[in-house]
Amino acid sequence: MLTVIVSGLAIGMLFAAVALVYNVMFSTSKVLSVTTGHIAMLGGVFGAYFVATLHWHWALGLLGAVAVGAAFGWATELLAIRRVLNRSDEHLWLLSTLALATMVQQGVGLWWGTEPKPFPRLITQDFSAGALDQKFWLPILMAALMAIGLELFYRRTMYGKLFLAMSEDAFAARARGVSTDRIRVLSYVLSGALGGLAGFAAGQLTFAYFALGLSLTLNGFIALAVGGLGSNIGALIGGVLLGLLNAFASHWFGGEYQQTIAVGLLMIVLLVKPEGLLGSKNVRPV
Amino acid sequence: MSGPTLGMPAPKLAALLFGALLAATLPFWAGDQYQLHLAALICVYWILIAGLNLVVGFTGQLSIGHVGLLAIGAYAFAILAGKSGWHPALAVAAAGALGGLCGLGLGLPSLRLPGFYFAMATMAFALIVNEIVLAQVNLTGGGVGLPGPLFPPPFDTPKGFYYLVAALALAVTLLTWNIARRLWGLGLMAIRDNPVTAQAVGVPLLRAKLTVFVFSGITAGVAGAVFASLQSYITPDTFVFELSLFFFVCIIIGGRGSLIGPFLGTVVLTALPELVAPLAKLGNFFYGLLLLVVVLVVPEGIGRMFELLAERWRPKLAAHDEVAPDLARLKRALGGPR
Repeated sequence: MLTVIVSGLAIGMLFAAVALVYNVMFSTSKVLSVTTGHIAMLGGVFGAYFVATLHWHWALGLLGAVAVGAAFGWATELLAIRRVLNRSDEHLWLLSTLALATMVQQGVGLWWGTEPKPFPRLITQDFSAGALDQKFWLPILMAALMAIGLELFYRRTMYGKLFLAMSEDAFAARARGVSTDRIRVLSYVLSGALGGLAGFAAGQLTFAYFALGLSLTLNGFIALAVGGLGSNIGALIGGVLLGLLNAFASHWFGGEYQQTIAVGLLMIVLLVKPEGLLGSKNVRPV
Repeated sequence: MSGPTLGMPAPKLAALLFGALLAATLPFWAGDQYQLHLAALICVYWILIAGLNLVVGFTGQLSIGHVGLLAIGAYAFAILAGKSGWHPALAVAAAGALGGLCGLGLGLPSLRLPGFYFAMATMAFALIVNEIVLAQVNLTGGGVGLPGPLFPPPFDTPKGFYYLVAALALAVTLLTWNIARRLWGLGLMAIRDNPVTAQAVGVPLLRAKLTVFVFSGITAGVAGAVFASLQSYITPDTFVFELSLFFFVCIIIGGRGSLIGPFLGTVVLTALPELVAPLAKLGNFFYGLLLLVVVLVVPEGIGRMFELLAERWRPKLAAHDEVAPDLARLKRALGGPR
């Protein structure tokens, strides 16, 4: 039973981390990018490539994965967001990020192979540790650190306050002399780095698998919508809720209906409380 | 702007007639069986895409989960016509009805959601269908799959089957054309361009969206049924999520709010990877790249680009608007009672 709870917590914290990445991008651009899950996938695949194939030290591999994620975040803004937002058509960013996500997924599939490959052990530890295994507590620790770090960043630093100002009202921020374009690029680089970190830390749980991105995009979005768009605490709660539900459902009923149950949770929350558990009402466009 | 009209210009009509003639005589000049198979596949895809075009191109609801509806139609046909021994025509009708019903069940909650939420809901639907197909081993054969039964004669040869799916595709095209060129089509485009305005001028928002979505579900179900027969064997791997993306790219490339554009997109995108070998290896990467380029460079679709070029090259008629005062009316206005 303890293993079920811990594994649910771990996968839930990964979903929560993806939801946090969504939030960072959404705060400055009001865009929910389809590539969000693919950033974490890149972190996992490149982490495995750096540490297992190239035999780098794990700290260097972590840095490399974060750098790849940040570069991809920057490329997302450059290719799929900037031009499209300038045209100000509502749906186009969905198409452009979907296109980019497909390209990345297929590109990684062609280069890395379509089989899930194992992620190397980062810390020497016996495989008999059970619920205390590093593949469980690494993602939990990482998501908690990410949430705390983001909270500190938003409250204590000038750039964090600029992010908040842009999420409140981008036009007003621009009128007050904030370079909104540069802040948006920064937020995408930051979200890419965070996504790479999340994928790296959860690599042993998910394996380095090219098709991981799409399911992370979906599950992270469900965590976000359940917790409330724009709320970091809500993202954590939604992710943990979803992860625990998944773990217990597959413990009791078997693993065949995971997606169905996750979407069921989303539908119930959207019916009862459309803005999510902790979301503010005016955030959700209707 | 406006949808296709009956009074189309002569060159366009001639091109359409020529295309129809080519399609009708295709089995007689096609080089081999494989080309005929390809043509039938284009027709099958078009049955689905014609319905999806109303949802994506006209109403602007970005459904990326229609592969789920295709799978439902295909499995319904394979189970009913293969296992239960129904007549294939009856099974096609049942598959269409089931597709429409699932479209209703999916559209009723999800069409109320804004853009990204709707796209994610339809994508989740496609994943759920795949999960259920894998889990219900007794019904669907799980990962092993099911054989798709053939149609009875005269439709059991490649030639006969091609005429069958071509007739179905023509029927679906006429149906969508009827919707697109009347007030319905204008209402749908109004929803796409500005839902608030559409509602203000009396377009029933949810009802209109739901109607075309259910229609697209029916066409997807029918397409799935003939797809199963064409492929002769279906597994869950046939209905990968990337197939949804392919349908989507066909419509976006052809241009939103047009019928002929997505049709040409379907023909070109289905045939191109088969004829140019290196593209087949890149596969979905190529579709993703194409979608990105089209969205960034010509978001209205390649068809719109041709229209713009044609407008630029066509000799313009000089305007003959003479400005003259309407003296009688002016006099009346000045000499009228004060």
